[in-house]
Amino acid sequence: MNTLRFIAFRLLQAIPVLLGVSIITFILMAATPGDPVRLLVGDRASPETIALVRDRYGLDDPILFQYFTYVKNLIVGDLGASLRYRVPVSQLIAQHYPVTLFLVIYTIVLTLPPVVFLAVWSAKRQNGPADQVIRMLGVLGLAVPVFWLALLFARFFGVTLGWFPVSGFGETVPDHFMHLFLPALSTAIWVVPILVRTLRSALLDEMNRDYVLTGHSKGLGERQIFRTHVFPNSVLPTLNLFAVIVAYLLGGSVIVETVYAVPGMGKLMVDSILARDYFVVQGATLVFALTTILVMLAVDLLSALIDPRVAP
Amino acid sequence: MSTLLEVRDLSVRFGQTTAVDGISFDLEKGASLGIVGESGSGKSVTCRALMRLLPPAAKISGSALYDGADLLQMPLPQLNQIRGKRIAMIFQSPASHLDPLMRIGDQVAETLRKHTQMRGQEIRDEVLRLLDVVRIPDPARWARAYPHQLSGGMKQRAMIAGALACQPDLLLADEPTTALDATVQKSVLDLLAQLRREQNLSMIFVSHDLGAVARVCDDLLVMRRSKLMESGPVSRVIDAPQHDYTRKLIASHPDRLTLRPVAEASTGAPLIEGQGLRIRYGGRSLADLIAGREGGFVAVQNADLAVRPGETVGIVGESGSGKSTLARSLVGLVKPQRGTVCFDGTPADPTGKGRVAYLREVQLIYQHPYEALSPRMTVARAIAEPLRRHRLCPPREVKDKVADLMEQVGIPTKLADRYPGQLSGGECQRVAIARALAFDPKVLIADEVTSALDVTLQAQVMDLLLKLQKDRGLTMIFISHDLGVIRRLCNSVIVMRQGQIVESGPTGAVFDNPREAYTRQLIDAIPHLHAGAA
Repeated sequence: MNTLRFIAFRLLQAIPVLLGVSIITFILMAATPGDPVRLLVGDRASPETIALVRDRYGLDDPILFQYFTYVKNLIVGDLGASLRYRVPVSQLIAQHYPVTLFLVIYTIVLTLPPVVFLAVWSAKRQNGPADQVIRMLGVLGLAVPVFWLALLFARFFGVTLGWFPVSGFGETVPDHFMHLFLPALSTAIWVVPILVRTLRSALLDEMNRDYVLTGHSKGLGERQIFRTHVFPNSVLPTLNLFAVIVAYLLGGSVIVETVYAVPGMGKLMVDSILARDYFVVQGATLVFALTTILVMLAVDLLSALIDPRVAP
Repeated sequence: MSTLLEVRDLSVRFGQTTAVDGISFDLEKGASLGIVGESGSGKSVTCRALMRLLPPAAKISGSALYDGADLLQMPLPQLNQIRGKRIAMIFQSPASHLDPLMRIGDQVAETLRKHTQMRGQEIRDEVLRLLDVVRIPDPARWARAYPHQLSGGMKQRAMIAGALACQPDLLLADEPTTALDATVQKSVLDLLAQLRREQNLSMIFVSHDLGAVARVCDDLLVMRRSKLMESGPVSRVIDAPQHDYTRKLIASHPDRLTLRPVAEASTGAPLIEGQGLRIRYGGRSLADLIAGREGGFVAVQNADLAVRPGETVGIVGESGSGKSTLARSLVGLVKPQRGTVCFDGTPADPTGKGRVAYLREVQLIYQHPYEALSPRMTVARAIAEPLRRHRLCPPREVKDKVADLMEQVGIPTKLADRYPGQLSGGECQRVAIARALAFDPKVLIADEVTSALDVTLQAQVMDLLLKLQKDRGLTMIFISHDLGVIRRLCNSVIVMRQGQIVESGPTGAVFDNPREAYTRQLIDAIPHLHAGAA
């Protein structure tokens, strides 16, 4: 019951956050130079046509009035319609969102096993050669920009070797896995070192805790102490960073999706900004914000599940 | 009786430093051996060396024959069969020695799973029985609890239950009561003494507190600077100590301590006064506001205290009773929600305007001397800081003033350029006292200043405070959880419990005729030094 109340309260808190996000995007879009109507009707349209279109979309109303109309529609679940595609924004999001979600989860799946393996490996051999190599590779992975790595991968694995397709999303689920492998891999290479470093230092901290000594005094043996005491305690600090990274992956999808031409939310967002497609940008931003809030909530619940001291 | 453990020439070295230097002793089956000494004397290291629980940097030599096998030489898998099963260990701070993410019951069961054939329901029943043996009420409920939900005493009991799980022959207890309040300490000691009698448990009990050791043990080892000073039956060592150091150790016990008499307090108007103080931690969150709760946590409720010039008032209570919070409010470190503080008859506002002038009159000395001093400031600079900052004397005279203060608190001049990290705990506490005295305050508040120190240092610091009070006519508020100390030092005493003052009055009256059952409980828990109590 307490947990349910906690969830309800957190979702309630999400409302002012979403409102704030929508205000900021609205102002930013309105302040961006460029006219959606011009882009919509083309260069040779007559002033009458422009005025007509402008009037139809309500774009000549005062900006504040436009915002309130938008919020009013939002409350009844209407995200508006795309100026470019002339379909409801919700339909566009429903099309693109699963692709990005697939990509993010795929990245996480590719990330976690090496993180756990490498962190445990290097913590158990602190300052040994393996630890040094892992650290150096980590710095390398952090230093190479994602878009550059993505381009190299596409060139090498996609074109030279021809192992993976270099763009698109594919039709069937196995296709999806093939198409998104390179995008997910190039993102994971950047994420893995960060998490390895946190988990490694958490493991080293926990290995020196007093309860490890208690474990030894009970005759439990190194392996059992590590598995049942050290590891669960080390996961907590990493988990919180993980939440931030997942939120970042959603935003970071803009880069890889553009490089690999994956039809996800990131690509939709970039295209819509370039086309001054106000409502799509608004809707996409809100969906990103909502996803971030939900991820944070999920991680908080997970922390509370692991750590009895954290009351949800 | 047969010999259970035979230790010969045990030495432990960490690089260049020798932590234990050639210790030998025997432990009979069913006997109980106490090891006492001040911090850094090597008593804990000795205890841990027997179980090979020291970091890899430690070089252990000598032999420790247990049942004919040398604990120090046997391969690790064989040792792991003995650890927990034949020899068990309990530690100083139960809070950090329990895994915070694991239920108490599971932590007790760990040993059973590892060393016995018991499984499933059998283990659950045995865990409940063990928790009952260590007198944890309602074992079924607490077995499912996590360590943070237990009080300090309960945690230590749970640790003991885990150690007893496989009915070991030998229990190594490494300062098991040091981190506990006096009343809890007494109950844990009683439990250990009882377990010894009922289960015929052999025990090695390490402590800096001679009183605690005397309660549980028959034999005693006194260690100092990694060497064995003296050994023998407890009664013999206490009644007829042969070594100078042992004599000093015994004389430092609050029970035996001969201190200069406490100065008589004047009968004038109170110098510092708190009226109806109520202190709350934590604000109201949005959720509290909606639910109509007050939120936060009330640390002190409606506390009144009045201290006359030249008087020493003691505040006692167990941890969490709000005694430190009350002291902190008097120097403006926390802001009371309600109530007023008066100084010299006029209302003072320790947190607001006039704070600087007020703090020149009222100074606080903190519990942990190392944490109260900046690690990057030398002794002389730390003491000079208030003089310079408050321009209490012309810059030319700062140096002389610092030297004078150092002399008053008994810090040798050669330590002036040392950093706190290079000093002992007692020396650090003296520096902190000198820094507080630099203000030439009228009121000195000492917040558990002796708790972090060894008995011998504790006696010296107490003596210093009494001397300063006499020389300077200081008014003191002395906070401690140790009634033994309060009794020797204070004119009157205030007993606090759960944020409330439960009893107050002149020290003699409160100690001889406590009105509250709680006060009586506290007084009963004072560790006394009578030989052969076990």
